[in-house]
Amino acid sequence: MLAAGSYRGSPRVGSSTAGLPEGLARVVQLLARLPGVGEKTAQRFALHLVTGDEETARELGRELATLPDRVRPCVRCGNVAETSRDEAEAAEGAVCAICRDGRRDPALICVVARVQDLIAIERSGAMRGRYFVLGRLLSPLEGVGADELPIDRLRSRVRDAQAPVTEVLVATPPSVDGEATALLVARELGTLGVKVTRIASGVPHGGDLEFADQVTLGRAIEGRKSFG
Amino acid sequence: MSLPRVLLERLSVRHLRNLSHVDLEPARRVNVIGGNNGQGKTSLLEAVYLACTSKSFRTARPAELIQHGSDTGSARARLADYGDDDGPAPIAREQTVAVQGRRVQVRTDGNRPASLAEFATRSPVVAFHPDELTLSTGPAQGRRTLLDRLALFMQPTSGDHRARYQRSLRSRHVLLRRPSPDEAEILAFERLAAHHGAAITRARAAAATALIAELLPAFDRIAAPGLVLGACYAPGGTADPDEAIEQLARHRARDAHRPTASFGPHRDDLALTLDGHPVRAVASQGQHRALTLALKAAETASVASARGVEPMLLLDDVSSELDPDRTEALFTFLGLTRGQLFLTTTRRDLIVTPGVDAADRRDFEVQDGKLHAVR
Ligand SMILES: [Zn+2]
Repeated sequence: MLAAGSYRGSPRVGSSTAGLPEGLARVVQLLARLPGVGEKTAQRFALHLVTGDEETARELGRELATLPDRVRPCVRCGNVAETSRDEAEAAEGAVCAICRDGRRDPALICVVARVQDLIAIERSGAMRGRYFVLGRLLSPLEGVGADELPIDRLRSRVRDAQAPVTEVLVATPPSVDGEATALLVARELGTLGVKVTRIASGVPHGGDLEFADQVTLGRAIEGRKSFG
Repeated sequence: MSLPRVLLERLSVRHLRNLSHVDLEPARRVNVIGGNNGQGKTSLLEAVYLACTSKSFRTARPAELIQHGSDTGSARARLADYGDDDGPAPIAREQTVAVQGRRVQVRTDGNRPASLAEFATRSPVVAFHPDELTLSTGPAQGRRTLLDRLALFMQPTSGDHRARYQRSLRSRHVLLRRPSPDEAEILAFERLAAHHGAAITRARAAAATALIAELLPAFDRIAAPGLVLGACYAPGGTADPDEAIEQLARHRARDAHRPTASFGPHRDDLALTLDGHPVRAVASQGQHRALTLALKAAETASVASARGVEPMLLLDDVSSELDPDRTEALFTFLGLTRGQLFLTTTRRDLIVTPGVDAADRRDFEVQDGKLHAVR
């Protein structure tokens, strides 16, 4: 499931940043936008950078300034990808190492909610195909609707004439929102004549794939079942 | 052969409600906790319940349990399952529940249990508190909750199905209220609601069967003779997921304008009749009480047989039961149970326990959040 704290609005001005020098307060507010970082933690990080560790602050600044140009979401699957140094290639967008790996089975795609889940599944070593990252889960209670999922992109990926896909394995987490997303994806792809499978429920209920151990995750992938 | 009993050997409470620092060493059979109202008697029972189940019987919001001015509250219990014979002493375990903000952390001997259901059923406990005096005639929610507590012992995944059912149903409701809802999206959540709802229906049906088998004889012993009690599970949904999907799809338009779905196990009840008529319409005050006590006796007995261990029994504020007419029913009820007993009262002197060894009873007083042993 997506962490509840990952979508926050603009940082609250006032309370914990009041009285701080303006530049520092802005850094605190920016850090507090990160998932799982509250204002207290953000303040601790920022104070550490200005009072104890000048070198880290400068280096972090340099790296962050160019990071979005060097690493982008893969245009094919949504995984993190390094942008090419070749200008012509870079213009077509970044392609990740997994999508470029010729030994991968092009006929199998694993659909995940987040890049973290992709990394966890990669670590299990059980996935020989490629991926598609949805970026979010269907969640009426958190205001995420079907129109916000990249279903059209997934459909055109599956229909790609140059690399025909025969199986789509849906590995969204086993939460209610994850299951509903899996049902929706299965329905949307059902008309394309592709086999849609779901990871076996070896992953603990309500658990995060990110935290499932590699053996469990490997078994869940090997024991996948067709949608009924 | 009688079942082993779970015994609380020691309880340490830190910063829960008004209990800053309380250590309790109870007797093996009867523990009477006296004190005026508002001193912390109920909070002590709540702490026992919390350590055994990770939940409160008074609130669904854990943050309310934490003492004002503290950021963490905890209850730590040393528990063991004792058989009747004088065999080797059982190995005790330590169950800890810590509440911080809205988070509840549970540990058994320092380790995270495989699931909350495993934790909550390890040391069975049945609580009886004044809110449940309306169990027989009040809203169906109370009777559903009773079935769910029992179902958790018989079918540990039932708690998970309930949480998922509720979330699926709420999601469907939000979708139905949108101006132009997406059909595929609604269907996805309806399929989940149907799947989890059917599992709840099956679990509650099994729990009802077990409960009713204990309820009828318990009522015969507690109530005046000659009354015929009838009880049956009245499902609001179905154990067949396909039928549920059909029902939910058919009632979308109507459900959009209602607070919740018109079909499903959230509408379940345990239907009770006296001499063939609904109890709500016919029973007297005394009969209601007898029936409520019989329901709790049946819960205790069926949890005992499902878990294979006699549960502890927590009785909150039995004072109201202590006029002579009611005392008899209460003590008949207690006679039906064999577990370790904790009861709170403003009148300790009225709790007479003739069949209990002096060594097996301990009395305490709670005053301003402090516990004193008095006997
Ligand atoms: Zn890629």
